[in-house]
Amino acid sequence: QRFRFCGDLDCPDWVLAEISTLAKISSVKLKLICAQVLRDLLGEAMEYEKILKLTSDAKLESGDVKATIAVLSFILSSAAKHNVDSESLSSELQQLGLPKEHASGLCRSYEEKQSSLQDSLRACSLRLSQLGSVCWRVDYTLSSSELQEVNEPLVHLTFNVRDRDCGKTTAVSMTLSSDKFRVLLAELKQAQTLMNTLL
Amino acid sequence: MLLVLSAEHRAHLGCLPRAGGAAVGELGRLALEQLRRGAAPRACEAAARKLNIDVDTIQHGVEGLAYLLTESSKLMISEIDFQDSIHVLGFSDELNKSLLQLYLDNRKEIRSILGELAPRLPSYHSLEWRLDVQLASRSLRQQIKPAVTMKLHLNQNEDQTAQVLQTDPATLLHLIQQLEQALGEMKTNHCRRIVRNMK
Repeated sequence: QRFRFCGDLDCPDWVLAEISTLAKISSVKLKLICAQVLRDLLGEAMEYEKILKLTSDAKLESGDVKATIAVLSFILSSAAKHNVDSESLSSELQQLGLPKEHASGLCRSYEEKQSSLQDSLRACSLRLSQLGSVCWRVDYTLSSSELQEVNEPLVHLTFNVRDRDCGKTTAVSMTLSSDKFRVLLAELKQAQTLMNTLL
Repeated sequence: MLLVLSAEHRAHLGCLPRAGGAAVGELGRLALEQLRRGAAPRACEAAARKLNIDVDTIQHGVEGLAYLLTESSKLMISEIDFQDSIHVLGFSDELNKSLLQLYLDNRKEIRSILGELAPRLPSYHSLEWRLDVQLASRSLRQQIKPAVTMKLHLNQNEDQTAQVLQTDPATLLHLIQQLEQALGEMKTNHCRRIVRNMK
């Protein structure tokens, strides 16, 4: 059986198994736990002690608490990944055996945060490197050891490139004559025009 | 298979009968801790003071015991072979019995520790991917060139490396086909026969 929130594939066995654990928690508490899991997915700190307190009534063991967080993270992020609207998600979760109130509570939390979740997932998509900043300086060469009167302008450019994985910034520096710089600028403006036609 | 104990090893183990029954238990425990966590000179000094024996002798005794246990566990020698191998040390029956018990009780754990010492090739950690379409370049406008960019994260002895790969969809399909063929090999009669015999 295919599910949209799993990317039109079968639902993983472990998710199916944990649905019954979710049903043990009351629907009101489940909505609050969802809010915490969403915080973690959006990059804010998740308050684990609150989740422990909310699950204490259902008498879940620590392994079950972690499984609950894992299955909610999967459902919410996978639904956002495949751009599933909250009604379809609710009906698919009910097909898997999640009670109606639980499913609607979960999907209401999902709906509130769907676009922020998608923005955050877009931001952490694969990216090889990122331009941090550009620094420049224009000089005027008066004279050199080869020629007494040079009188030419010169541009120094430094691109600070950030590596996403280790967070290191490398500086790539270059010096250009004014003609070369004009060519570079023209080409980059053409690329910018092309990008604007796509937006 | 019998263990052949070198003269030096025999000399190191020679301190055991002098130490007495309870001490052998203590030295055994120290030997196991050394295998689990590495040498602990302070623990040896404490044992030396308690048993009123010279620190070096204790150290040698612990190391000798550890080596005896690892060699026996490595080769998975039977009870009889173990008894015959230590018989050459000329210990009392009681001491031989405690050594045998020490070996049998801890054999499984020592084997699992030894198993982790084998060298490992880089193993798969995760794969990030991205599907792009090249629309234009500096030399050619009005293009449509799809490409899949992948970042393969590998783990080697707690070292994380990443490899960036790029491919066009045709090569990607070929890659998937080859990997599916490799998985399919497990279902052939030849592989099934070998797997059955290994179990």
